[in-house]
Amino acid sequence: MATRKPETGWHGENSDVNHLRGRAFEATCLALTAFGLVSVMLLLLFVANDAFRPLSADVGWLATYAVTVVVPLAALAVYYYRLDEPAGEVAYVASGLPVVGLLLTGGFAVLFTELLSVLEWFALLISLVAAAGLIVAHGRLRPKAALERLVVVLLAPVVTVFGLPPTRFNWLVTDAAAALGLDFGLYYRVISLREAIMLLPFVPTDWVMLLLTLVLPAAGAAGWFVEQRRESRRDGLAVVGLTTVAAVLGVVAGPLLGIGADVWLLVVTFAVLPLGVYVEGVLRRGEGVRGLAFPVVAVLGVVAGSLITGALGFAGPDPWLDWGFLTSATSRTAADAGIYPSMVGSVMMIIVIVLTAFPVGVGAAIYLEEYAPSQGLMGKFVTLIEINIGNLAGVPSVVYGLLGLALFIRVLQWPQGSIIVAGLAVGLLILPIVIISAQEAIRSVPDSFRQASYGMGATRWQTIRQVVLPEALPGILTGTILALGRAIGETAPLLMIGAAASVRLAPNSFFDVGSMMPRQIFSWSSELEPAFRHGVLAAGVITLLAVLLVMNATAIVIRNRYQRTG
Amino acid sequence: MTQNEMTSNDSTEPTPTTETAASSPDPSGDPLIEQSIDVDGTDATAAETGEPVIESRDLNVFYGETQALQSINLAIPEKQVTAMIGPSGCGKSTFLRCINRMNDLIDAARVEGDLYFEGKNVYDADVDPVALRRRIGMVFQHPNPFPKSIYDNVAYGLRIQDQTENIDEKVETALKRAALWDEVKDQLDKSALDLSGGQQQRLCIARAIAVDPDVILMDEPASALDPIATSKIEDLIEELAEEFTVVIVTHNMQQAARISDKTAVFLTGGELVEFDDTDKIFENPESQRVEDYITGKFG
Ligand SMILES: Nc1ncnc2c1ncn2[C@@H]1O[C@H](COP(=O)(O)OP(=O)(O)O)[C@@H](O)[C@H]1O
Ligand SMILES: [Mg+2]
Repeated sequence: MATRKPETGWHGENSDVNHLRGRAFEATCLALTAFGLVSVMLLLLFVANDAFRPLSADVGWLATYAVTVVVPLAALAVYYYRLDEPAGEVAYVASGLPVVGLLLTGGFAVLFTELLSVLEWFALLISLVAAAGLIVAHGRLRPKAALERLVVVLLAPVVTVFGLPPTRFNWLVTDAAAALGLDFGLYYRVISLREAIMLLPFVPTDWVMLLLTLVLPAAGAAGWFVEQRRESRRDGLAVVGLTTVAAVLGVVAGPLLGIGADVWLLVVTFAVLPLGVYVEGVLRRGEGVRGLAFPVVAVLGVVAGSLITGALGFAGPDPWLDWGFLTSATSRTAADAGIYPSMVGSVMMIIVIVLTAFPVGVGAAIYLEEYAPSQGLMGKFVTLIEINIGNLAGVPSVVYGLLGLALFIRVLQWPQGSIIVAGLAVGLLILPIVIISAQEAIRSVPDSFRQASYGMGATRWQTIRQVVLPEALPGILTGTILALGRAIGETAPLLMIGAAASVRLAPNSFFDVGSMMPRQIFSWSSELEPAFRHGVLAAGVITLLAVLLVMNATAIVIRNRYQRTG
Repeated sequence: MTQNEMTSNDSTEPTPTTETAASSPDPSGDPLIEQSIDVDGTDATAAETGEPVIESRDLNVFYGETQALQSINLAIPEKQVTAMIGPSGCGKSTFLRCINRMNDLIDAARVEGDLYFEGKNVYDADVDPVALRRRIGMVFQHPNPFPKSIYDNVAYGLRIQDQTENIDEKVETALKRAALWDEVKDQLDKSALDLSGGQQQRLCIARAIAVDPDVILMDEPASALDPIATSKIEDLIEELAEEFTVVIVTHNMQQAARISDKTAVFLTGGELVEFDDTDKIFENPESQRVEDYITGKFG
């Protein structure tokens, strides 16, 4: 076939090599990519436009903000991109951190208003710390007693958090106490430390408890981090001191500005402190310091914009997605409708999923990767199971809804549409994904680490606990958070288990019937009034997307952070 | 089987076992004495060598169907450097892994025969490989420090073995004995992965000796290192032999000649062809095949 033509050269026009097909393929791929990206972008723009309705504002308003915010920020962005790339990264993080921090603040604020009081949180945390203290103390006192240790590890949290069930012994104790004229309200069972704290006649005020359980631990962690980084104990202590002062000052001064003490403490913990530590690091390294200008310019721009528009009387837009939308329940009139109760429902559902699917999935992954036999008949069986886990990851979500309906509602008789049923059904849905991603993370721990550990005379448990899991954890977390992102958007299982189409009050127990964001959005989509189907729906979708984005960003941050150090 | 018989014919393999008879009057190691009776001994030639701490008898290893070691008989003396040389794939690493039962971690591997450590067959049912590995440390071909700080790497073995008293001191001693202390003493908190390859390997040695084992197994510990790092490791090994029994696999014959007291030559197919004093192996080997291998005629 390939007869050489001696009269032609090997280069230029006469070259034998044909690039045409390759070029065509490349162009096709590019076109497909562009098509996909552009369609998604258009969709998002469309929805965002519906949610925020920027065109409902005065032209003057738009122009003002364009001048004070958009133009300076765009100029800065161009500058970073062309001349100062490290500053670009700094700008990105320095603007993102407070946003994520404020979102977390919101999350915790919701937690404290809907799910548990500050006192309950305080008692729970103290009890968990006490349980950990018990376990550590036992380890110190009797380092060799392995079986005993297992019992302590299992029992300590039970005793401190749940208390002991009624037994004959408790009768004796309670009767004895009653004889002495004391009534602890023990209900003939030993109450836990948690319950004991809640029964205390005088408890610290909320902000003191928050200071102790949130601000100080966070400040301590930040202080430790700074101490390590600057190798100066004083600087570490300074961080703790400054944070505490800022927290207390805010508590005192906050009411004047209309900021509640609790909210201020959450803001300090989740937004001010991380941002402060980050800014300190940037300043110390001296690299990309100009990036810090970005958030400053943004804030100044917004302030200037609002002053100018206020002075000139320009009316702003009337967005669907505003503070009222985030904080109120749905309503019969589109203008008053909000997403708050279903947001709480989603958060509670996520809590159920994290508490169930995460331990089960990670446990299964550890077993399959580290313990399960790989040879012989059992090995084949394990392979079969792994293949089926892979298949389960592809099962349509409706099927999981059906499973939830059959199992939790029909068999276990749990309330239809309750948060717990929703969480478990969707948890089952993401379980295979959690298992597979955790397996991958565990598998990516180099075998040489395991060999080194076993070679030192470590048991399998020690090897897994000290070497494999610490290495695999970032990967496991990343995979799990991405899976949670999938979970929060699932709609079909919620429909199957009968989650409420919309609720007026946020659920405050896991056995309450609740609605979740996707379910609420779905019911808006079938409202008759067009304002619901366009405006409110779009606002809901954007809210859901924002939550998703935050979760994915967190996953990416965790991954990058550990890839860099690891 | 015939091959095995041939092997023992042209090797000097009985020699080390007869040393046992000559130099171990106390009956601490019953099996060793049994062995010395089994084998017709020639005169004890190396009376100055230590007692055998490790002794394999008719050790066969299979990976699935393929046999990687053929009836190995070998006695490794105490507090000396024993080198194992041979072409790659001849089963040196496999033999090393038999000693601390790291082969247990390979599903396909199956071990037949006996291997005695201080008189106890490590393949007996009542031997916990974890306990065995606490007495027999190992250093691998590629430096494999944990992705932890230098300090935590050395402290790892101490912690998992609950030897938590004076941990700082022990870490320092181990790093000094591994000739690494001066280079890292100001950066013990730094990640071990930031060290150079040679430093990492010395860190691995420090990690292995921190728990004060009896034996240290080294599988080509310098093969991934540059010449300077290699010579540092070699010096270190010679020093370690004052306190530990060192078994080192190497494919580098000069290295074996430089640092070892005894040398075992494995050849392709997983047979132990000759085992004797290093000087004898390199100057005047019994077997023609060993001579050919050492002079580079095949490999
Ligand atoms: N994990 C394993 N699974 C299957 N075969 C193996 C394994 N490890 C080693 N082998 C085989 O056993 C033989 C000896 O290997 P090895 O002990 O690593 O040799 P050496 O260390 O002398 O180069 C080789 O043929 C190799 O292919
Ligand atoms: Mg090898």
